[in-house]
Amino acid sequence: METKVIMPQLGESIAEGTVTKWFKKPGDKVGRDEPLFEVSTDKVDSEIPSPAAGIVTRILVEEGKTVAINTAVAVIETEPAAVAAPVAPSPTAAPVAPAAHPAPAITTEVDKKPAAEVRSSPLVRRIAREKSVDLSSVTGTGAGGRVTKKDILGAIEKPAAVPQTVPPLPSLRPAQPAVVVAGALGAERRETMSTMRRAIADHMVMSKRVSPHVTTVFEVDLTAVNRSREAAKESFKNREGFPLTYMPFIAMATVRALKKHPVVNSSVDGTDVVYKEYVNLGIAVALEGGGLIVPVIKNADERNFLGLARAVRQLADAARTKKLTPADVQGGTFTITNPGVFGSLFGTPIINQPQTAILGIGVIEKRAVVIEDMIAIRPMVYLSLSFDHRVIDGALADPFMADIKKALENWEDQ
Amino acid sequence: MTNERLLEIYRFLLLNRLFDERLQKLYRQGKVVGGLYASTGQEAISVGSALTLQPGDFIGPMIRNVGSLLVRGVDPKDVIRQYMARATSPTGGRDGNLHFGDITKGIIGPISMLGSQIPVLAGVALGMKLRGRPNVALVYTGDGGMSMGDFHEGMNFAAVMKAPLVVILENNGYAYSTPTTRQMTVSSLADRAPAYGLERITIDGNDVLQVYDTVGAAVAKARAGGGPSMIECMTFRMRGHAEHDDMAYVPKEELEQWRAKDPILRFECVLVERAVADAAECDRIKESIRHQLEADFDSVDTEPFPDGSSCLGGVYA
Amino acid sequence: MPEITYLEAIRQGIWEELDRDSNVVMLGEDIGGYGGAFRVSSGMIDHFGTGRIIETPICESGFTGAAIGLSFMGYRPIVEMQFIDFISCAFSMITNFAAKLRYRWGASVPIVVRGPSGAGVRGGPFHSQSVEMFFAHTPGLKIVVPATAADAKGLIKASIRDPDPVIYLEHKYLYRRIKENVPPGDWTVPIGKAAVRRTGRDLSVITYGAMVHVALEAAGLLEKEDISMEVLDLRTLLPLDRESILATVRHTNKVFVLHEDTRTCGIAGEIAAIINEEAFEDLDGPVLRVTAPDTPVPYSPPLEEFFLPKVSDVVAVARKLVAY
Repeated sequence: METKVIMPQLGESIAEGTVTKWFKKPGDKVGRDEPLFEVSTDKVDSEIPSPAAGIVTRILVEEGKTVAINTAVAVIETEPAAVAAPVAPSPTAAPVAPAAHPAPAITTEVDKKPAAEVRSSPLVRRIAREKSVDLSSVTGTGAGGRVTKKDILGAIEKPAAVPQTVPPLPSLRPAQPAVVVAGALGAERRETMSTMRRAIADHMVMSKRVSPHVTTVFEVDLTAVNRSREAAKESFKNREGFPLTYMPFIAMATVRALKKHPVVNSSVDGTDVVYKEYVNLGIAVALEGGGLIVPVIKNADERNFLGLARAVRQLADAARTKKLTPADVQGGTFTITNPGVFGSLFGTPIINQPQTAILGIGVIEKRAVVIEDMIAIRPMVYLSLSFDHRVIDGALADPFMADIKKALENWEDQ
Repeated sequence: MTNERLLEIYRFLLLNRLFDERLQKLYRQGKVVGGLYASTGQEAISVGSALTLQPGDFIGPMIRNVGSLLVRGVDPKDVIRQYMARATSPTGGRDGNLHFGDITKGIIGPISMLGSQIPVLAGVALGMKLRGRPNVALVYTGDGGMSMGDFHEGMNFAAVMKAPLVVILENNGYAYSTPTTRQMTVSSLADRAPAYGLERITIDGNDVLQVYDTVGAAVAKARAGGGPSMIECMTFRMRGHAEHDDMAYVPKEELEQWRAKDPILRFECVLVERAVADAAECDRIKESIRHQLEADFDSVDTEPFPDGSSCLGGVYA
Repeated sequence: MPEITYLEAIRQGIWEELDRDSNVVMLGEDIGGYGGAFRVSSGMIDHFGTGRIIETPICESGFTGAAIGLSFMGYRPIVEMQFIDFISCAFSMITNFAAKLRYRWGASVPIVVRGPSGAGVRGGPFHSQSVEMFFAHTPGLKIVVPATAADAKGLIKASIRDPDPVIYLEHKYLYRRIKENVPPGDWTVPIGKAAVRRTGRDLSVITYGAMVHVALEAAGLLEKEDISMEVLDLRTLLPLDRESILATVRHTNKVFVLHEDTRTCGIAGEIAAIINEEAFEDLDGPVLRVTAPDTPVPYSPPLEEFFLPKVSDVVAVARKLVAY
């Protein structure tokens, strides 16, 4: 049987020892407790007695070599007759303890995708996960807009919350069928908003919160535009297959004014104002059955009048037939909306974020106007501009509007 | 004293000595976990004092009083298990060496803070007195331990309470590497006794019969309600503080001087003088103890280390 | 059942235990004829004798060690620290000797180390300390901190009967300031169980000792602002009642810890860590702390008043947490 001779630990702080001398060489007989080798540590020099009687078969550590404690330094083949003292388990070979220190009981998964930039609390995030609530849709009333327990519990009790990100082509279908219930003041119908409705609602709230809106209204005489339109109307319809409306005229005048007043064609990014070298003109289209979508005419400033007219028509058709692609509604730099088609005198539209202004077109109708002290009957329109007062002052907005007015009233000059 | 009693003393002295020697070898073979604190040269104090006790008495040993434990009936294998950190040891491997106790045997194990044993054994002694039991508590300290505040607090408490406490002051020359002259300015440990209203007693701690007689008298006095005593026993630590310590700070002549006063050699002379045993008989006793100890050590060596997780539990009832 | 003071409740509890079990003894300075510095042992020596009421020399380590020795002889000693500040003198005896005995070799040490703790009585740096955290880091000890007279009595009796060493911290500010009915008969309060002193909806304060009363007063004021604050009285600091702590977190979701002890490494830090590990997803706000600052306890009234957490501090933090 083999007995391993180990480097003993000669002192509590001792980690290694140097074999300074072997008293035996391989093949020598050694008695139990007979001096076998000498060890030097920084604390003491000691003669080490053999742990067993037998033949030294191997010396594993030469004289002068330093090894860590409990390292085998020699092997003794014990005599069969020798008392069979089983080799003690070395302290270092003691059974491996199971984890003595229980890890803190973390029973929950880490949220893989934290709700976008919404401040909340661990509790709120857990409730959101369990109840499938999009936290970005919950209005926070805590410090710094943090969503609190009350907020999310309130949101769960009330109708489902609204996602912030606008899906490119949301469905109009209500999330749940309408339910008619008896309200406190009589029958009421409760129905969950459609995805698009929620997107619009949220976007409108966000825009009003983010931008201080100011609306300015200009009255424009469309006599010149009308004259030009009447002249081209017939041939245009025959050539293009759709009627020539006022929109391309107003769009054209707007694009030119935007090029001249770049701040109206900008966006706000933190404390920066981003001026767009291009004009991507959005035109709001009301959809049948409710809802609103804003297809965008890309690089409108590179189009001539006819190109603009065709683009307006094409996108409006696509919107109404639900053939818009996500790219068609993205990247707008300025928007025109047209409440006039419903008879509105003028609107105070809400800015389509992150743009900084929006132009509203009122109803076009003949009005009696005073021209050079004479009463005349003219096709008139009110154009209103809602602008973001963070970056656009009235002194910037009104010249922009004045330029549009001038372009439209002097259309023949172009 | 009967021959049987003298031989009993001799057997315990040898058991103490040979036990330490066996441990020293095991230490060098890497089988002792941690430090080894030998009592070589001081055996007469442990053995002579502990033999004066009766059932129901308590002792509070120091780290070197293995002889006292053996006299009081502790199985040598339990001490070996402690030194080898086995699951089977009295502390299950939670503490080592003589750091264990057994109330049923009247043994209060020490802690590493010197002096702490004195107040605790004073409390034990007070308890005996309050219960009206004719018992005593025997506690050991040394030239180092006496420098600590707890020594004074415990000694003073015992004196004020007139508790049956016998304090053995082992003056073995060094506390680790510090000589007694650097521990105190009084010339003898016993000089402190009058501060507690006690008699100044200094004896030859390497003369087991003198230890036995003097401690015996103090124990009898305490048992009779005479209050505490302290006894300075002059001796010498013949090995380092622990086995890693080569004692380079001890002058060779001092060591040689004390080697000549070895308590076991001296007691063998007594045995021969009194015709209790001759040299051959002494050797025979030695061999039989050595043989028994080897068997004990070999047997403990087969016992397991504790499972790591047994570290948990047992902190509270 | 007449109302009794917190101090009288402690005295009654000790008296009843001395009466019930002849192994119960008390050690301390001036506890004999004088009746103890605060009169907790008033009348005891005449009734129970010098073998039970053991007046000692001035030696905190000495008589604490002796109490350990007495426990080996089958006694259940109560050790009185004249002021709990002096317990530091017995630190090694408590943490090295008493606390580790059961773990090392299975010996039971049924001692109670008790004494007047805490500030608010112009005691200065050495008669006002909160010493709980000196010991809370030592496995093997138990630490109780009664806040009411009923608890003072119930906990001293439970501590005396406990098989392990218990540090019983009685608040000297409460000694004669609170009076209440204590349940009759052999009334004990289990060690390791917290108590909800007031239920609440919006947030919880976890506290102990004299600060329980500060918390309750603050809760009353907050109610007028329609803020409903739960007050959890820990009663035992070691072992902590983790279940009750987590239950109040799960109930109100907003929690702060209030203690008179200084801030760094006060029990509030440990409680915050437990909540963080085990109830993170029940939190609707951060776990805040209201504590004394990291200074010794000062002496002059304006200094001590500045040092101690006040009702207004608690109200302010509660408002902040509710608004979070």
